[in-house]
Amino acid sequence: MRIKDVKYLRFKTYLNAYCPHCNQSFNVDTINEKTLDFKAVYKKKKIDLRLSPYLDVFELEASVPVEKGDILDDLLCPYCSKSIVKKDFSCKECGTKAAEVIISADEKLIPFYLCLKYGCEWHGLSKADEKKIKLKIPRQDMPEQDQTLRIHNHQEVPYGYTSELALLEAGRCIQCKNPKCIDGCPVNIDIPGFISLVVEEKFDEAVKKIKERNILPAICGRVCPQENQCEEACVLGIKEKPVAIGRLERFVADFERKMELVKVPIINKNTGKKIAVVGSGPAGLTVAADMRQLGYSVTIFEALHETGGVLTYGIPEFRLPKSIVQFEINYLKEMGCRIELNHIIGATITVDELLENFNAVFIGVGAGLPTFMNIEGENLGNVFSSNEYLTRMNLMKAYKFPEYDTPMPKGENVTVIGGGNVAMDSARTAIRTGSDKVTIVYRRSRNELPAREEEVHHAEEEGIKFRLLTNPVRYLGTDDNRVKGMECIKMELGEPDNSGRRRPIPIEGSNFILDCDLVVIAVGTGPNPTIFQSTPDIKRNKWGYIEVNPDTNETSKEFVYAGGDIVTGSATVIQAMGAGRIASNAMHEKLSKIKK
Amino acid sequence: MKEFKSINDVLDFAIKGEQEAVDFYNQLAENSKTEDMRHVFTSFAQEEMEHKTRLTKIKAEGLYQFEKKEIVDLKIGDYTVSVKPSPEMSYQDALILAMKKEKAAFRLYYELAKRANNDEMKDVFLSLAQEESKHKLRFEIEYDEYVLREN
Ligand SMILES: Cc1cc2nc3c(=O)[nH]c(=O)nc-3n(C[C@H](O)[C@H](O)[C@H](O)COP(=O)(O)OP(=O)(O)OC[C@H]3O[C@@H](n4cnc5c(N)ncnc54)[C@H](O)[C@@H]3O)c2cc1C
Ligand code: SF4
Repeated sequence: MRIKDVKYLRFKTYLNAYCPHCNQSFNVDTINEKTLDFKAVYKKKKIDLRLSPYLDVFELEASVPVEKGDILDDLLCPYCSKSIVKKDFSCKECGTKAAEVIISADEKLIPFYLCLKYGCEWHGLSKADEKKIKLKIPRQDMPEQDQTLRIHNHQEVPYGYTSELALLEAGRCIQCKNPKCIDGCPVNIDIPGFISLVVEEKFDEAVKKIKERNILPAICGRVCPQENQCEEACVLGIKEKPVAIGRLERFVADFERKMELVKVPIINKNTGKKIAVVGSGPAGLTVAADMRQLGYSVTIFEALHETGGVLTYGIPEFRLPKSIVQFEINYLKEMGCRIELNHIIGATITVDELLENFNAVFIGVGAGLPTFMNIEGENLGNVFSSNEYLTRMNLMKAYKFPEYDTPMPKGENVTVIGGGNVAMDSARTAIRTGSDKVTIVYRRSRNELPAREEEVHHAEEEGIKFRLLTNPVRYLGTDDNRVKGMECIKMELGEPDNSGRRRPIPIEGSNFILDCDLVVIAVGTGPNPTIFQSTPDIKRNKWGYIEVNPDTNETSKEFVYAGGDIVTGSATVIQAMGAGRIASNAMHEKLSKIKK
Repeated sequence: MKEFKSINDVLDFAIKGEQEAVDFYNQLAENSKTEDMRHVFTSFAQEEMEHKTRLTKIKAEGLYQFEKKEIVDLKIGDYTVSVKPSPEMSYQDALILAMKKEKAAFRLYYELAKRANNDEMKDVFLSLAQEESKHKLRFEIEYDEYVLREN
């Protein structure tokens, strides 16, 4: 190709190019240096522009000096070294037929062309080509802490997207006419809507779009099981990997917080009515925010000395930094919600007493009561429920002993029973406290592990062993009654029963002993009965969970609403928030009809 | 040990067993501290009542045809520690109690089958044992689904 009228071929370094052959995206602005990833072939010599002396860092442009009439042979992808020049295009700028252009993409992922004839740059592609290109962009991973280093600290594992990565990922969304992802989201966030705002770099508007339906995006972006919700439904998932909706949600929420763009909303005119919220987990927080916004005066009663429920004392710091949870709580305080800590409703004040002072009560007390499997040896020393183990570690910051005065339950050889998020969290916490060996014992196979895939993957990376299709049948103790091992039995999965579930069945005679010096049981939890002892007229089911009208989440006791784990049993953060939203809508509707 | 002279004898014995279970659960329901647990035990009693009705019908119609089918044993009842009946029992305790009770009934019929005088009677005992394991499985599945649920 002959260069006619240009003196310099210029490449902007903020370019995020993409190779149509090997699908690699070349991220230009990396490792603090302004690097440009193209390779050019000029006078038959390959120039690697990544190291090019021609790169002018201040101008953010790399220029290869060329003479009029010189020949630039080709432009190559730095990874696969194939040509990224497309020969069958005509330049939109100069109109030259058969102009030679490179297909690439700028930082917004709108395909980018560079005309090699006159050096014209232009954007845009036919819809079909655009879709083809988008489908080829690989799902972007989040950069994360190295696995060998992170097991020695409690800091968050993924760092989150940079804006470049977020733009690349958002560019993958093909903006379906009939977006399945919205149906997959338990609170029906307008997902393509917020993603298209990301593409336009309107990150603050994108987070507002999410907050229309979900008040805690920084938290949900981190802990929601997107792989079973919105991302499972995303159409890209049929052939390729789905759009990383959760990572984008997290990115925009973090952006808003870090840029200090969070503003307290305008609160509606005071209704003169008062709401009591019992429990400060995600369900309670949602009700508090909604009702306060609508002009009610809101008081949250929390049994513990810190707010946030499971977000604070259950999910560990390395998965959900507590500073984020506290930021959201401060936001509620700034909105004018009152928070009363160390108030156990049912013990210090009863629900009936609350009703004397408040127009309505919301119960979001979760399902934090540990249940045991009821097998031999569960009362030995160093056998913990996951609830106690994680609470000690998180809330009482036992991992900072002696700085904090709760001693840390520590074992060299730890076994965790269960296969859910709680089990993964317990195991990953144990490995961070310096245990030599951490094993997860789970009675079904890997396919049935109910934990989030990301958590299982991280646990494996961190060296946690999995004993699948195995169940403990009793614990063995030392003379001074500390656990020293457990007898396990191997399991096989039976035929699917009426519910379609394959039950684990013990294999006769397959018993064996597994040594361990600390056990965490992450199986089963139940409702704490305290609040009900003084209020027997709140109807509950046989498991002790509250029965509600599903349209309003009102309980059998008028003006008392409930939602979250105390209604459903252990579920998810987003389900608890969704339940809170149903209750706040219904409360508002009912209370609006009543004069003071 | 009780002598069984005829199949009817066996069925009477089994019917009596079911009635005892009905009474047992009704008693627990009466003693229960909470409404929910009263409900649970009443429903257990009702299930036992249904078993009794079935046996009574079989006896009346003289139809001793029981199907023989292997029933899955999740063995949850085998490894859980026994619970004592009390007014404060939780649903988990109630399930353990019920599983253990069904298992004991299974063992009894199984033993009786081994000692049965003739093949016909043996078959009846075996099918009664099988019925009890079916009942146990129902409780074990409930336990597996809710108590042993990973979270
Ligand atoms: C270790 C762990 C990991 C998890 N990981 C995930 C995950 O990755 N993704 C996900 O979606 N879900 C996860 N979950 C589940 C999720 O956290 C819960 O479903 C969710 O927190 C339930 O919210 P909630 O508001 O109903 O109750 P909770 O978060 O349990 O909050 C209840 C609050 O009520 C307070 N309270 C209780 N009784 C009283 C009383 N009598 N008076 C006053 N206050 C009271 C409690 O102290 C607590 O603060 C996890 C759970 C655990 C335990
Ligand atoms: S289904 Fe996937 S591709 Fe379609 S709009 Fe939703 S996120 Fe975008």
